[in-house]
Amino acid sequence: MMKLETAHIEEVRGIRKLDIDFQKGTFAISGPNGSGKSGVIDAIEFGLTGNISRLTGRGTKGLTVAEHGPHVDKTKFPDAAFVELRVFIPALKKSATITRKVSDPKKPKIVPADPDVQAALAEIADHPEITLSRREILRFILIEPTKRSEEIQTILKLDEIGQMRAALNTAQNKLQTAQKTAATLVQTNRDSLLRHLQISTLKAEDLLESVNKRRKLLGLPEIAELTADTKLDVGLAAAATGPDFNKQSALRDLNALSEAAKGFPDLAKADAAAIIADLAKLEEDPALLAALQRRAFIEKGLDLVEGPECPLCDKPWEDEQHLRDHLKAKLQKSAEAQKIQEALLKKGTAVAQAAIKVAGQLAPVLKIAEGQGEAGFAKQLTTWKADLEGLKTALTTLDGVTGLKDRLTAGWLATPKKFAKELAGLTEQVMARPDQTAALDAQTFLTTSQVRLSDYREAMRKSKAAEIAFNSAKLAYETYCAALEEELNALYDSVEKDFSAFYRAINEDDESKFTAKLTPSEGKLDLEVNFYERGLFPPAAYHSEGHQDGMGVCLYLALMKRLFGDRFTFALLDDVVMSVDSGHRYQFCKLLKTQFPDTQFVITTHDRLWAAQMKSAGLVTGKTSIAFHSWTIDTGPLVETNQEIWDEIAAALAKGKVEVAAAALRHHLEYVSRLLADQLGAAIPFRADANYELGDLLPAVLSRMKDLHAKAAEAAQSWGNKAAGDAVAKRKTALAAASAATNVEQWAVNKAVHYNEWANFGKKDFEPVVAAFKDLLACFRCDPCDSWIYLTPRVNPESVRCDCAAINLNTKPKPK
Amino acid sequence: MATLQQQIAEKFLAKLADSKQLDADKIEQLKKLLADSRKLKADEFVKVFSLPAGGDIK
Repeated sequence: MMKLETAHIEEVRGIRKLDIDFQKGTFAISGPNGSGKSGVIDAIEFGLTGNISRLTGRGTKGLTVAEHGPHVDKTKFPDAAFVELRVFIPALKKSATITRKVSDPKKPKIVPADPDVQAALAEIADHPEITLSRREILRFILIEPTKRSEEIQTILKLDEIGQMRAALNTAQNKLQTAQKTAATLVQTNRDSLLRHLQISTLKAEDLLESVNKRRKLLGLPEIAELTADTKLDVGLAAAATGPDFNKQSALRDLNALSEAAKGFPDLAKADAAAIIADLAKLEEDPALLAALQRRAFIEKGLDLVEGPECPLCDKPWEDEQHLRDHLKAKLQKSAEAQKIQEALLKKGTAVAQAAIKVAGQLAPVLKIAEGQGEAGFAKQLTTWKADLEGLKTALTTLDGVTGLKDRLTAGWLATPKKFAKELAGLTEQVMARPDQTAALDAQTFLTTSQVRLSDYREAMRKSKAAEIAFNSAKLAYETYCAALEEELNALYDSVEKDFSAFYRAINEDDESKFTAKLTPSEGKLDLEVNFYERGLFPPAAYHSEGHQDGMGVCLYLALMKRLFGDRFTFALLDDVVMSVDSGHRYQFCKLLKTQFPDTQFVITTHDRLWAAQMKSAGLVTGKTSIAFHSWTIDTGPLVETNQEIWDEIAAALAKGKVEVAAAALRHHLEYVSRLLADQLGAAIPFRADANYELGDLLPAVLSRMKDLHAKAAEAAQSWGNKAAGDAVAKRKTALAAASAATNVEQWAVNKAVHYNEWANFGKKDFEPVVAAFKDLLACFRCDPCDSWIYLTPRVNPESVRCDCAAINLNTKPKPK
Repeated sequence: MATLQQQIAEKFLAKLADSKQLDADKIEQLKKLLADSRKLKADEFVKVFSLPAGGDIK
């Protein structure tokens, strides 16, 4: 994370050109609605992440950073819109400058371009949650549990963890399918071996009895023990091991296939029928079919996402996360299609297993056909076997299954025409062969036994390996889920504790025993809060909207603390503090100061009082706060404390924009009058809405200043301090002259501001007004230290002074 | 401070090692995979779990 040192913003959102010195500290930006505060937040967010969530977040369809990021007058010149941020990275103890143009948001210029600096800034760019706006607070609180779970998972980047879990689960499923296939092959090879040996169970004793009978006939030593290295045909002369055709064994294989073929029409019939029914349902409902096809398409796309560009249509997105969210939302919409998809794949796997079994039964007969020179039948069997193996593969994918409707309807096994006849012919041909001599029969029996035992052992080895692989994947998946659950429970526990503690800290006067409960369950995250010790309820049940807002901020802070820990050094809170009711603002400031001493918050508020409270609570200072008094499309935000206001007014007048100059002057006078009224203790009739106007403020300030001059003159006389008396007299004269001048021009200002008679004013009319007020305000300001004068101390004041004491009027007379 | 993903990955590997049910070579391969910040694909895990027990030299 980082801290913000300075920002230079040009032509971004509502800002024309603005420089702010953030001083790496918590910073307040205040101003009325529409004065450009959020534009600053947008610009900083853009500078750091390349994105503006206000334009690309929920409910912002049709808005883009490229089109709507630049100032409205610069939409055709996006190159002119850029943000330059100077940041400090505490972990690296380095400062860096990041410059980002709206025309090329993904390629910021970073100086220095050190890899560690780039990595640190890339991490920030990956965390849009550094910005919290007013409209986003409630997404944590007033939201259904499933959505809250999604929101919080997104902010904590739990979706990445979800991807890992999904990948492990898919791996487990793939290996399970492979294990089933391997087990089927074991069964096929086992059957083949048993058939050949003419035994019913694969016991070593039975096997050796069958083999030793032939070995004895050939005069070979009996095999006493069956080990992994045992060769059943050991001892046969090399020449004798050549042919492995054994007539009786071949006949058994042929008969076995012939018997099996009787059951072919019903093989996996129910599973195939279920697939056909689901496919028919899809044909009847084109929307469902489209959803299913889209689903498969989107799943593939989601798997291929590697950046902000859609792999399906090449459309560029703001970032990869937005693209992922979009694709996931599409997947969620097709729940029914998902159900059908799962059923199709399950039944497809069942048919595939049957196909493997048949292919295994064809293998020995194919060998016989080849041995008998039945090239035609051998070719037919080879083709059929390859077809079944291909079918097996197709049945394990959605695309494959949906393309097999005709095949499944016509009979998925696709037994070749005349198969039964050909098989019968081959059987007759084998039967017609002369019986082998007892010796040859025994020899071929042993060689075939060895071949089939080897095949069985190989199938067993592969099956064992497949089983180990599946068990490993299963163990890994289950272990990952367990680790995930433990960590998430710990996470929610710590978030719950922090959230409760933060909320209690803000509401310590009336909810000092507040507690909350975050309960995660599958796909949901329930939040319940204690209401005045009457029990746990959903946040919206009894708490006021203001309290719910406060909960939103507290939950956000708790989540950020958990997400970043010590690295939570920066957050943009856009009009969020308004959520805290006026009675608890000091506590909120205290919370930020005590719980997040190393975090720089950039806080905007449209409430002038809130801005003042942040200062008096010590959260910000005069140097770490800025106030906008208004905004115009030509100037952007107008800064209240801006000492260049006179230049700005002069510039507006030079362009003949009297209305702009008059509004700026009026706002500046309002700001300074309010400040001076406060600093000098001017007496102003109280207004419950605190909506004091210039007419309320300025006369009271002038009156108070005259009074203070009088007091200072009296004090100087009482002390016999002639120099002080002269200084007071000089200031009194200057104020009287300036005040008289403004009175003369007052009508003009009032007209210009109140009655909108802009058309009646020319540059020449307004220039004297500006000059008069400039002189008047100069009477309250110290140029050397650039500060406004104030009365000190506030209670029982003794002097009027400036920050550097160049102006220092004693108001306390010598005691008599 | 480690990220949540890193914490889960560490706990996951530690639990696997403790269980003594998975070959050390596979755990090592998983560790290498998880150390990579990119998105992992199911086939990469299939490859690891399909390694012969005790390594791939057999």
